[in-house]
Amino acid sequence: MTNISLEAPEVIRGQPYPGAPDNWKRFFTFSTDHKVIGIQYIVTSFFFFLIGGTLSMIMRGELITPDADLVDRTVYNALFTMHGSIMLFMWTFPVLVGLGNYLVPLMIGARDMAFPRLNAVSFWMVPVVGILMLASFLVPGGPSQSGWWAYPPVSLQNPTGNLINGQVLWILAVAISGVSSIMGGVNFVTTIFKMRSPGMTWFRTPAFVWSVLGAQLIQLYGLPALTGGAVMLLLDITIGTSFFAPERGGNPILYQHFFWFYSHPAVYVMILPAFGIFSEVLPVHARKPLFGYRVIAVSSILITVVSGLVWVHHMFASATPSWMRILFMVTSMLVAIPSGIKVFGWVATIWGGKIRFTTPMLFALGGISNWLFAGITGIFLASVPIDIHVNNTYFVVGHFHYVLYGAIVMGIYAGIYHWFPKMTGRMYYEGLGKLHFALTYLGTALTFLPMHPAGLMGMPRRVASYDLEFAYWNVIASIGGFLLGLSTLPFILNMVSSWIRGEKVGNNPWRAYGLEWLTSSPPTVENFEELPLVVSGPYGYGKNQALVGNIPNPGLTQFSESLTQQQTS
Amino acid sequence: MTAERAIAQDVEANVRQHQEHDAAGNSKFGFIVFLLSESVIFLSFFTGYIVYKTTTLDWYPPGVTGLETRDPFINTLVLVSSSFVIYVAERYLHDKKVWGFRLFLLITMAMGSYFLFGQAVEWRSLPFSYQSGLFGGTFFLLTGFHGLHVLTGLLLQTLILGRSFIPGNYDNGYFGVEATSLFWHFVDVIWIVLYTLIYVWQ
Amino acid sequence: MLKLRAILVMTVYAILVALASLWMAKQSYSWFPPEAAAEAKLLDDLFSLFTGLGTFIYLGVIGPFLYSLVFHRAKKYDMSDGPPIEGNTWLEVVWTAVPLVLVLTLSFVSYRTYEKMAVRGPMELVHLHMPEIIQPAYADPFDSTPQQEIQNAAETAPIEQIDVTAKQWAWIFHYPERDITSTELHLPVDRRVRFTLRSQDVLHGFYIPAFRLKQDVVPNHEINFELTPVKTGTYRLRDSMFSGTYFAANQADVVVQPFHEYQQWLADAAAGSPTPAFNRAAFEYSQANDREGATKDKVAVRGWDTIPPAPPPVVNYAPKHEPDSPPA
Repeated sequence: MTNISLEAPEVIRGQPYPGAPDNWKRFFTFSTDHKVIGIQYIVTSFFFFLIGGTLSMIMRGELITPDADLVDRTVYNALFTMHGSIMLFMWTFPVLVGLGNYLVPLMIGARDMAFPRLNAVSFWMVPVVGILMLASFLVPGGPSQSGWWAYPPVSLQNPTGNLINGQVLWILAVAISGVSSIMGGVNFVTTIFKMRSPGMTWFRTPAFVWSVLGAQLIQLYGLPALTGGAVMLLLDITIGTSFFAPERGGNPILYQHFFWFYSHPAVYVMILPAFGIFSEVLPVHARKPLFGYRVIAVSSILITVVSGLVWVHHMFASATPSWMRILFMVTSMLVAIPSGIKVFGWVATIWGGKIRFTTPMLFALGGISNWLFAGITGIFLASVPIDIHVNNTYFVVGHFHYVLYGAIVMGIYAGIYHWFPKMTGRMYYEGLGKLHFALTYLGTALTFLPMHPAGLMGMPRRVASYDLEFAYWNVIASIGGFLLGLSTLPFILNMVSSWIRGEKVGNNPWRAYGLEWLTSSPPTVENFEELPLVVSGPYGYGKNQALVGNIPNPGLTQFSESLTQQQTS
Repeated sequence: MTAERAIAQDVEANVRQHQEHDAAGNSKFGFIVFLLSESVIFLSFFTGYIVYKTTTLDWYPPGVTGLETRDPFINTLVLVSSSFVIYVAERYLHDKKVWGFRLFLLITMAMGSYFLFGQAVEWRSLPFSYQSGLFGGTFFLLTGFHGLHVLTGLLLQTLILGRSFIPGNYDNGYFGVEATSLFWHFVDVIWIVLYTLIYVWQ
Repeated sequence: MLKLRAILVMTVYAILVALASLWMAKQSYSWFPPEAAAEAKLLDDLFSLFTGLGTFIYLGVIGPFLYSLVFHRAKKYDMSDGPPIEGNTWLEVVWTAVPLVLVLTLSFVSYRTYEKMAVRGPMELVHLHMPEIIQPAYADPFDSTPQQEIQNAAETAPIEQIDVTAKQWAWIFHYPERDITSTELHLPVDRRVRFTLRSQDVLHGFYIPAFRLKQDVVPNHEINFELTPVKTGTYRLRDSMFSGTYFAANQADVVVQPFHEYQQWLADAAAGSPTPAFNRAAFEYSQANDREGATKDKVAVRGWDTIPPAPPPVVNYAPKHEPDSPPA
């Protein structure tokens, strides 16, 4: 796509490159460099993470007492709606796309993504979505208050009667987010299929790339269904069609099918890259190959397929016929198998290795232990009789927050710390990193474990007020929530100060196997002087073999190299 | 290492060339992936239509017993034939006969416009609106969404017609033409399914 | 020698984990509200099975995981790699096949429990006159008393029919035989009850945690839902499907009482003329929108416009107070 000039390799140090502190302006431009775009995604989404987190802390402030006495009920309903929407559409999806954007071309030995301009357009839609979501707080009637699911008929009720209301803005935001994600999906899938470096067969491709592929394929088959449902909902609200409006003959349950056909696989869009990060971080910091790499790689695609067949488990208590409940119970139980294989593989990876408790390793290990717990409660939820009791209670909220915060966010942090030296050319402060981990792990447990017994006792979700018997669990959860808020502070401090004045590192401070570690830190504009010729599998620890055949493999064959030595590839 | 390095540099040069020339190959791959994804949105609308039609008690609004099929059938013939016409246009371009390409492209555009015009005429003649229950809503949703895609296709065709006048436009291949043509075939296939669901299955 | 020691350690650990799992399985019963329905007992047994197995899996994986974190650390100046072990086919087959068998078994057991609960899927809209009890073909894994209770209830007495109407934001119960309405749900113990659930506006959720049962209520649908209360007492009904502003306040009391008391209650209610019952949503709304100007609500942050709640339901049996069932 770009005119590849053969003079480019000579210009390495003279040209400003991403990560240099005096070049921050580059991140506010329409850059088509995947590394710039990746960092744009990550930083923008982190900003929204803080906003979504603030909303949740207000919610926990409300829920620390049984009565609805901190905020009005309409405000609380808006809070949980926008907390969910912002955390999903403005934090989790974009930050993972950002990490994928940064890493995938490097990991496969490409100079950029397949469609760099499309990539930039995809990113710049994200602030637009964010502005729409935040602007909805300012319109009469307030933002959407129907939950991040926007189930009709509640989402069709429009107290102000205005055409431009919070719900409409929400639908528009979600639609634009969908377009951005579909464009991203096309980009990632094309890049991974067509631009792997010579010698990189499918089973020499890093597990993270497989997981991103699996996730982006889901976006491609799932998002259009959500868009369809959203279009129909929008038409119902604005021009008076009757798709989901019961008083006009519509079927609100059909909306649930449209919604969940995407939104269940969507959770795998989020967890798969986190799984990929675990698969990359563990071998490096345990100095051992990824156990069962091929199976782990293929299991990502299995998850892509099977996760598309389970959506009705969100509707076990809706007007769903018995045969449908049983069918989807079985498929939902089966989707645990490919995930389970990964967990066992990870444990076997660290077993007998040489483990170092670096910050990325701590987050990866913590994330895996949390995922184990969350995956098990997921199997509980797959069982129809159990789900009939706990559906729409805090048991579900505890489960999915354990997945989202306990596994996915910890995976994201693991990835950010692990590749921070590559992205910035500097090392983060290990002490702050460990503090961040400790606060996060503890905060996650305190906040989300108590939600499970609260749900079992019958506390519904999305409630601004609750009965006195649930107070005990809610107080603990609220304290944990505030702790989680605090836990972001060492992270922000670490990132900012390390980026500005952390210790400089060379190409491969972790002595890791991977094409991204063969480039400079940060990589030059077109990543590689010569495209690497891959000659072996991705996790050659303990084998003392080269990864590529045409360029030096620093850090792999020379164990005594200094971490601070600047290496050029 | 030098012999390996020499071989590798050779490979690298080939790959570079391949990747540069295959920019179009990547684009085609990406575009097909996009079309597959886009078809899912129509599939979800079709599913919705089927569910509604089979579960709604009062499917037709009062006073309506069905849809006229004669004119829509003619429109269908025109649209589907236009797929062959644009294919012919593409072949002319492949053979570097740009004037032939332009002629058949224009014919395609005329046929596409006729289809859209026919749709507009049909819409205006209908005794029900998008607010006429589920039948009305789904009818206008499906045909309207499809019509938007036809319009997009026509705009793309206008674009590639215009670009055919730029000298040196096809030096790096004609991916734009291929994409427009693929898109048009996609629009046609969707219409065939749509026509079967709405007009044939009554 | 080393191999024998490893096997010994693993066996001891497995036994300890099994004991811990059994203990957790027993503990799980205490995490629930009282078992007020026959269906509740079935659910609690199933949940206990899942808890035991889940604990076993969790501890079984965490054990080796933690062991590794303690004993497989890199020595401080050891920069070398670990052993290049890339897989083990036998192990991988086992840890794929065993979970597969496990989840299929759990599916099957769940299916059996679901059948035994016999609450009937909501799409069977035909009102049946005789209940269908599916005879268990195999021996029950747990005590068969709940199934027996359901059967007895069904065989000895006619099913009590109660119409339930959900709206924003109240529950109204209509007893068609006596043609009385109430905002408090009274049920006879040890009898099968059939609810016909209707919504006047949006989706609601009919959820009684003490019964372990819920069913979403869908506008334009009549959904039949059966259960068998077996324990007298007062329990809570909560709206479980988000239904708008005052969703969290949409609750009612459920009173399960001996049959003669239930009959007495019906008679008393029939004698009284309808009066407005206490409705939390209407009460809070009036507080926030006090016509005298000064609002009396106590929130720190005011919100936006809302759908106004329906006025308090005018019913025969109209409690004038908040629902006050004891915990759960």
